[in-house]
Amino acid sequence: MSDHVIEVRRLRKSYGGVERLHGISFSVDFGEIFGFLGTNGAGKTTTIEILEGYRARDGGEVSVLGADPTHAGRDWRNRIGLVLQESELNPVYTVRETVAMFARYFKQPTDLDATIVSVGLADKAGERVGRLSGGERRRVDVAIGLVGDPEVLFLDEPTTGLDPAARRGMWALIEGLRNAGKTVFLTTHYMEEAQRLADRIVILQSGAIAAEGTAEQLSRTLGHATRITFLAPPRIGLAQVSAAVGTRVEQDGRWLGFRSDQAQRDLTALLGWAAEHGVELTDIRVSPPTLDDVFVQLAASPEDAQDDGS
Amino acid sequence: MSDVALAAAQARFALKGFLREPRTFVYTVVLPLFLLVILNGIFRGRSSFFRLQVPFAVYYTPAIISYQIMLAGYSSLLIAVTTERERGMLKRLRGTPMPSWVFLTGEIIRTIVVVAVTVAVLVAVSSGVYHVPVQVHTVIGLAVYTVAGTACMCALGLASTRACATTEAASVAGPFVTLIMGFISGVFIPVSMMPAWMLDVGKLFPLEHLARGLQQAFAVPGSTGITAIDLAALGAWGAAGIAAALAGFRWEPHDSW
Repeated sequence: MSDHVIEVRRLRKSYGGVERLHGISFSVDFGEIFGFLGTNGAGKTTTIEILEGYRARDGGEVSVLGADPTHAGRDWRNRIGLVLQESELNPVYTVRETVAMFARYFKQPTDLDATIVSVGLADKAGERVGRLSGGERRRVDVAIGLVGDPEVLFLDEPTTGLDPAARRGMWALIEGLRNAGKTVFLTTHYMEEAQRLADRIVILQSGAIAAEGTAEQLSRTLGHATRITFLAPPRIGLAQVSAAVGTRVEQDGRWLGFRSDQAQRDLTALLGWAAEHGVELTDIRVSPPTLDDVFVQLAASPEDAQDDGS
Repeated sequence: MSDVALAAAQARFALKGFLREPRTFVYTVVLPLFLLVILNGIFRGRSSFFRLQVPFAVYYTPAIISYQIMLAGYSSLLIAVTTERERGMLKRLRGTPMPSWVFLTGEIIRTIVVVAVTVAVLVAVSSGVYHVPVQVHTVIGLAVYTVAGTACMCALGLASTRACATTEAASVAGPFVTLIMGFISGVFIPVSMMPAWMLDVGKLFPLEHLARGLQQAFAVPGSTGITAIDLAALGAWGAAGIAAALAGFRWEPHDSW
C-alpha cells in the first residue's frame, strides 16, 4: 500500500452504534518514534489495538509492515512487538524465566541476557516478577516486546502509573530504541512525554486528529499555553499585577496565574515589578502546557493547529 | 523450535509455575491425600458396593482418585486459565507468533502430569498403608479411566472459563462445583448410604461415572470396570466441553474494554 511502516487512511470504528474513531489518517515512517497523544477515551487504545490486529475496523484502510493487521499471520507477528496497556505477569516466575519463555515464541529472538540488560534489569534477572516495583515490571513488559527483535514496537502508555523517577528511566529506555533502529508507536496522555520522545506527534481528541507535527512545530503552535502561577501576595490587587505583566491575570482561590507565550519575558516583567514594589512572591510555578491546555488552545485557534496534509 | 517442542516447553514452564504456587499445590496435591487418610480414618470395616462387601479403603481409593482428577482437570485448570486471561496474559500471548493452541496444550499437558503423579501417589499410599490390592485388571481400568476422565474434565474446565468473569469467580466456582459433585456422586459418602434420587442426579454428571468405573476396577475381582455407559458419559461430556470451549472461548480480560 505504501512505503510507510504504518499507514492509516480514514479509519473508522464504532462500539455499540456510537462512532469512536471518525475516519482518522496518519502514517509512521521507518525508524521514527511516533507519539500518539490523547486523553483517556480519545480513542488511542482502540487505534493501537486495530494496528496490533486485536480489533477489526469498521471502515478505512490500515497497513502495518505492508500487511492488513486483521488478516496478518505468523510471519507478520514475528516482526512486531507489543507492550500492552494493562497486563500483568505471573508473579511466580523470575524475570529471566518470563522473558525466556516469550523468546521461544519468536523465530529469531534476540540474545536473552542482552535484552534484559538493555531494559536495565541486569541485576534483577533472577528476581521473581512479584517482587519487582511497578517501574521494573513495566521494563519486563518492554523486554518481552523487544525479545522477538521486532521491526515495529507498539508501546501503549508505557509510563502510566509510574512514579517520576521510574518514568524518567523509561524515557531513557525508549530513547535508546531510536538508536537500535526500531520504529516505535507510542501512545501517551502526557504532553511532556510525547514532546520529549517523539519525532512526530499526532494529537487525538474525541476520535479525530486535532493536531499533527513535530514536537517543535507543536510547541510553536501551542507555545502560549505555558502557565505561570504564584500565591496571591497580600494587599495587591489583580489589576496591579495584570498591568505589570501586560496580560490578564486571573485568580483561582489563593492563587494568581496567567498564560504566557513568552514565559521568559513575562516572568522577567513579573519579578522586576515585584522587586521594585517590595512585593514578595511565593510558590512561583512555571508549568508546561498540559494536554488539557493544548485542547483549550486548539479550540481557540483551529486554523493554526490543523497541519494535516490529507 | 517446532510447535510440538514449543508446547512441551510451555508445559514445563506451566508445571514450574504450578509447583511454586502453594495454594494450588495444597488444593490439588495435598488435599486428596488428606481426604484419603481422613475418610479411611472415619470409616472402618466394610462397605457394601452393589452386591459386594468391600473394605472402605477399596471403596475410597478410586473415589478419591476420581475426585482428584476433577480437582486437577476441572477446577485447577479453570482457575489457572481464567487467572491468566484476567491478567491479560492470554491477550498478550495472542499478540505473539505462537499459535493459541500451544498455550492451551501446555496447560493440558501440565494437568496430565499433575494427575498422573498424584494418582500414582494415591495408589501407592492405598496399597502400602491400607493394603488395597492393585492387580492387572485394576491398572488397566485405572489407566483408561484416568485418561478419559482427565480429558473430559480438562474440556469442561476450559469451557467453564467463559462463565467466570473474574479470577475470584473461578476460584469459587471450581472447588464449589467439584465439592457438590463429590457429594452427589458418592465420593465421600458410600453409595449404599445415599438416597436413590441423589444418585440418579449424580448419574447425569461425569464424576459419578468416573468414580463408579474406577471403583469397579478396584473392587470387582478380575474386572477392569470399563463399561460402555461410563465411557460414553465421559465422552459425551468431554465432547460437549470441547464444543463449548471452541464456540465461546474468551482470550481478552474483562476490564480491557
